[in-house]
Amino acid sequence: MNRNIMLKEILSDKELMKKYGIKEKEIEGLTTSAPYYKSIVEVLATIINEKDNHLSESQIYKRIKNTYKL
Amino acid sequence: MASIINSISFNNFFNYYGKHEENTYDLKEGVNIIVADNGAGKSKFFNAFLWLFNNQILDSDDKISKNIKDVFVKIISDKAKSETPIRGTVECGIKIEYTFGLRYKYQIIKSFIATRISEDITDPQSWQYTPKDIEVNKSELILHRYVPIYDEDDKRTIIDKLIMSNFRKYSFLQGEEVDDIIDFTKKSSIEEAVRNLTDIKQYEELVDLTEYLKTRAERDLKTQNNDSENQNERLENAINEKSNVLRNLEFEEKKLDEYQQSYTAAEQEKNELDKNYANAKKRKVFDDKLRDENKKLRTVEKEYEEFLERINGRFFDGNTSWISMGFDDIVSNYQATIDEYNEARYKKKALLEVEESPNSYFHFLPVHSPDMMTLDSMIKKEHCFVCDRPAKENTESYKYLLQLRDRPKGKSSKKSFVKNDFKEFFSNLQLNAQPFYNKIDSIRESVNRTRSKEQTLDDRLTELKSKLKSLKDQRKDILVAGSNSENNSSPIISQYQGAIKRMENSRVKIDDNLTPRIKKLKADIKNLENEILSLSKTQKIPVGYIENFTIAKDLAEATMKAKERVYDKMIMLLESHANKHFQELISKNELEGGILKFEKSPSGSISFNYIDSKGNIVAGNSEGFQRMKKFSVVMAIISANTTKYNYPLLADAPISAFGEAFTEGFFEATGNVFPQSIILVKELYDVNDEMKLTKLGKKLLKDENVKTMYVNQVTPGAEQIDRLTTKIKLK
Repeated sequence: MNRNIMLKEILSDKELMKKYGIKEKEIEGLTTSAPYYKSIVEVLATIINEKDNHLSESQIYKRIKNTYKL
Repeated sequence: MASIINSISFNNFFNYYGKHEENTYDLKEGVNIIVADNGAGKSKFFNAFLWLFNNQILDSDDKISKNIKDVFVKIISDKAKSETPIRGTVECGIKIEYTFGLRYKYQIIKSFIATRISEDITDPQSWQYTPKDIEVNKSELILHRYVPIYDEDDKRTIIDKLIMSNFRKYSFLQGEEVDDIIDFTKKSSIEEAVRNLTDIKQYEELVDLTEYLKTRAERDLKTQNNDSENQNERLENAINEKSNVLRNLEFEEKKLDEYQQSYTAAEQEKNELDKNYANAKKRKVFDDKLRDENKKLRTVEKEYEEFLERINGRFFDGNTSWISMGFDDIVSNYQATIDEYNEARYKKKALLEVEESPNSYFHFLPVHSPDMMTLDSMIKKEHCFVCDRPAKENTESYKYLLQLRDRPKGKSSKKSFVKNDFKEFFSNLQLNAQPFYNKIDSIRESVNRTRSKEQTLDDRLTELKSKLKSLKDQRKDILVAGSNSENNSSPIISQYQGAIKRMENSRVKIDDNLTPRIKKLKADIKNLENEILSLSKTQKIPVGYIENFTIAKDLAEATMKAKERVYDKMIMLLESHANKHFQELISKNELEGGILKFEKSPSGSISFNYIDSKGNIVAGNSEGFQRMKKFSVVMAIISANTTKYNYPLLADAPISAFGEAFTEGFFEATGNVFPQSIILVKELYDVNDEMKLTKLGKKLLKDENVKTMYVNQVTPGAEQIDRLTTKIKLK
């Protein structure tokens, strides 16, 4: 629950919404669970989830790189 | 799920003499009121919880929290102590039962045993203290059968769950300590509340994490550029330039931090001195008055001393001649005696002379003898006008005229006629005493005048001393914490003004210098990051790395902004809740309520002000009003919590300075905020009423939000040793 609230709170930044084309309505339905319809949502969800799972910073970074297949 | 205290009972705990069964208070969800006059067990009740949570009690004699083993003798009922024989034991303890949620019920028993070893029951040396393990039992609500808990950690968890330690400060209020619930003098006070109530900590962790991820993404981007065959020097420069700007930013932020710390320290000093400053200013008024009055006192004291010194002189001063007071008869006696003496003396003298030379003393002059001037004229003219005959010089007639003229003088006798002649001595005595006895009649008046003057001076001194004492007492009543009451108030005033000056200096540095510089550096970094990205796109760097950096950069910024937004939102929420509660609390007053305003200070802390409709800060309200403001903030902290507040409010005399109108508002408001309130209060006690309740007490008794109400009483007129608290359950 908290994860979703944080995800929505961070992504509701006006500048970010404009840049990544996120609409107000879409924000309401956002969750940290897959599927993610935008990369930025996926990255932030990964950060929030894995932080909650007590992964280290570098482990989280590796997970994020995986999302870009790097 | 909230913790609800179902009951609390005492075993020989302070005035609660007797076993738990005799001293049990059944409590319910909602508002529970225990009405008690002074000394009837309010603070003792409260102390039970202090003992449970902190192993301490608040000593009502000096208002200092003390460890139980240092004051255990004090907390045992005097009656129980007196009934304990030497070498006998007495048990003292508390028992609390509470439910948490719908399934479990817990029982906590804390106690100790005291063994009496000598006569004096109040002497700690007369007792031996033996603590008992805390007993914690658990029961399913439907079973009504307690099972003991043995694991110490589990016991601790159950005790903590009653009121979590983080929330005890909002849940556990003692009398005037309401003032300290939120210590507005500390930067952390509201922030700590916000931290407790929001998930701001998680946002802060996310800010650090996203910043880290951005740095890693940028480093990877740089590596990709370096690995690229076609290295872009501009990209390399932009990345290096960003590192430089970051170093500058770090430096400026460090400076900002230093100035914020300096501002915070000055702000805290100022806040701590706020009350003292106001009091110091009030004290200064007294200091000035005291100085003037002391000066007057010194003048009058000097005048009085000089006056007393002059009194000795008045005995011998011819103008006052006090020494002769009461000598009225002696003077007349002396006069009579000296007259008698003179008469006798003259008699003696006359007799002796007459005896020796009668002709020298007796001159029988003819009728119509001439006077001295005529005689002189007759001698000069050598003619007697009496018989109209010549009296030539050297004739018998002439000599007769000479003899007539010189008759008394020519023959003065120096012969002694008494053995010791005291005439001169007595005359001198009389002469010297003359100034004194001449004043005898006016001495009493002079003494009375002097006494009256002395009385006037004495009265003036008494008046001045009494005025000084009153001024000193009034000055002493204006408490200036940490300052000796004899000290001058000026240092506090200058310290306060110094703190304000330091705050202003730091503010100027922060607001006018560092903040704009940091803002510019951050803008530079943002521009450089954008440049890095746009230059990266011209390189043969895999898109994933660019996208990774782009998103990491944007998320770091958005997370930071989200954190600030959440914080600000919570402050606004607290402000709105505090104002709502404040209006509820003052709703029964005729008071024109202002607005409670939370504002960010340059140090980043939250300042709390009470402003009027025009935005002016309102100061100098009554103590009850000030306390009510703080209480509003406490309730706001509780009610603004996104999850329901799960702990009871336990308040000992929280409204003693509120006044009746506030009191009524308090009970209404508290019922809306806390799932359970246990309020120990004396303001509803009326010794002359049959129910021992005031009008408001009776009104509250009928209030549906008030679930239980007890009135505590102590044995009237009983000695301390026989004093025990009994209760009447009214609801």
